Amino acid sequence: MPAKTKVLIVDDEERFRDTLKKLLTANGLETNAVGSGMEAIEELHQQPYDVILLDVKMPGMSGLEALAELKRINRDVEVIILTGHASVDVAVEIMRLGGYEYLLKPCPMEELLAKIESAFERKTAREERTKKVQTTASS
Amino acid sequence: MKAILLNESSSSSFNPYFHAATLLAAALAVCLVFFGDFLFAAAALVVAFVSFLTTRHLTRLVAKANEQKSDLDEQLIQSQKLAAIGELSSGIAHEINNPLAIMGQETEWIKHLLKADNLQAPGATEELRDSLREIVDQVDRCKEITHKLLDFARKKEPLIQAADVNKLIEDMARLVEKEAAQKNIQILREYQKNLPRVPTDPPLLRQVVLNILNNAAYAIGKGGAITIATRLSGGDAVELAFSDTGCGIPKEQRDRIFDPFFTTKPPGEGTGLGLSISHSIIVKLGGRITVASEVGKGTTFTIQLPVGLT
Repeated sequence: MPAKTKVLIVDDEERFRDTLKKLLTANGLETNAVGSGMEAIEELHQQPYDVILLDVKMPGMSGLEALAELKRINRDVEVIILTGHASVDVAVEIMRLGGYEYLLKPCPMEELLAKIESAFERKTAREERTKKVQTTASS
Repeated sequence: MKAILLNESSSSSFNPYFHAATLLAAALAVCLVFFGDFLFAAAALVVAFVSFLTTRHLTRLVAKANEQKSDLDEQLIQSQKLAAIGELSSGIAHEINNPLAIMGQETEWIKHLLKADNLQAPGATEELRDSLREIVDQVDRCKEITHKLLDFARKKEPLIQAADVNKLIEDMARLVEKEAAQKNIQILREYQKNLPRVPTDPPLLRQVVLNILNNAAYAIGKGGAITIATRLSGGDAVELAFSDTGCGIPKEQRDRIFDPFFTTKPPGEGTGLGLSISHSIIVKLGGRITVASEVGKGTTFTIQLPVGLT
């Protein structure tokens, strides 16, 4: 049986992250939640994650600043941005910084679960490719 | 636009000279005819004619440039309006989408709990209640935003009546004082006696005063003082100053505190509309509201209201 997808929720809205954590856990994902970009960075230093769900508008460090730093710490982690307001500029910036997807709140649960799954698949496929390249190179 | 402006300024500085040149050349031609020097008179006439044509041409250019400029001005105002609407809608979207997202999740959680197996689990009923309570709270949060926005958009003209500003402020100070006392915040009064009555809309002004006092108490947190001062300013205005010993506002935030939806409070605690509404009220009342602040020392909001407004 494949290992559970590890998801980190980053959102300053406490109730939002708590309920989302319960929902994702109930859907078979291993989930943690933190309230700021700084905490997310610390958390990613502590342990690896497959997918990070990141809010944009947060006090202190913004989601975009956090995204850049999170990708620096772990290039392979897939980041899905969850935001209350959409703008083309922000979307472009997210893609430029290596974000995987951009979802507008409120987002239906099925859609979010599907995006997490495809982000996880992309991450796994990339890791396998890298492994293959390494094996070919060493043999 | 720049080219047009240049064109306009250069031609308008040319214009009087060309008019003068036309007149001078014409006058010279008349003099020369008078002295019988017809050849030079003819030459002077040619100069006058050329000068006249040039002036007319330049005047038309200026008119055309002015027309283009006013078109551009109009476009600029229109685009500024659109930008303001854009900014406002993105603020509204953000403020409403967050509570909506929470409501959506609570609904999902309720659905999850209602599945037969989960409903048997201990604490399921309490969790259901909690989720429902949260949805009600978030509906209230949305309601607060939309109601404040409606207040903001209300085009109702202020109902002006002569008011005793000291009394009006004192009513609000008392309202805030009880809660402030619990947080060890003192309210100090420095009211100037015998102030002229100010023609204003008392309920609107009360709303502004209450908002500023609440903000001051919030900025202080625990232990501190709010000083309320009133005085005559320059003979034709009454000045209301509210100083707190709170955390202060950094420069980069100070420029934005009157912007709609700008808030430093945690999500759900402030809509970011209080000060922008206060600002629009004071402007409507013909006054001015300004802020001075030092980080770590405190903030002073000053309102000036004209005494002579009818």
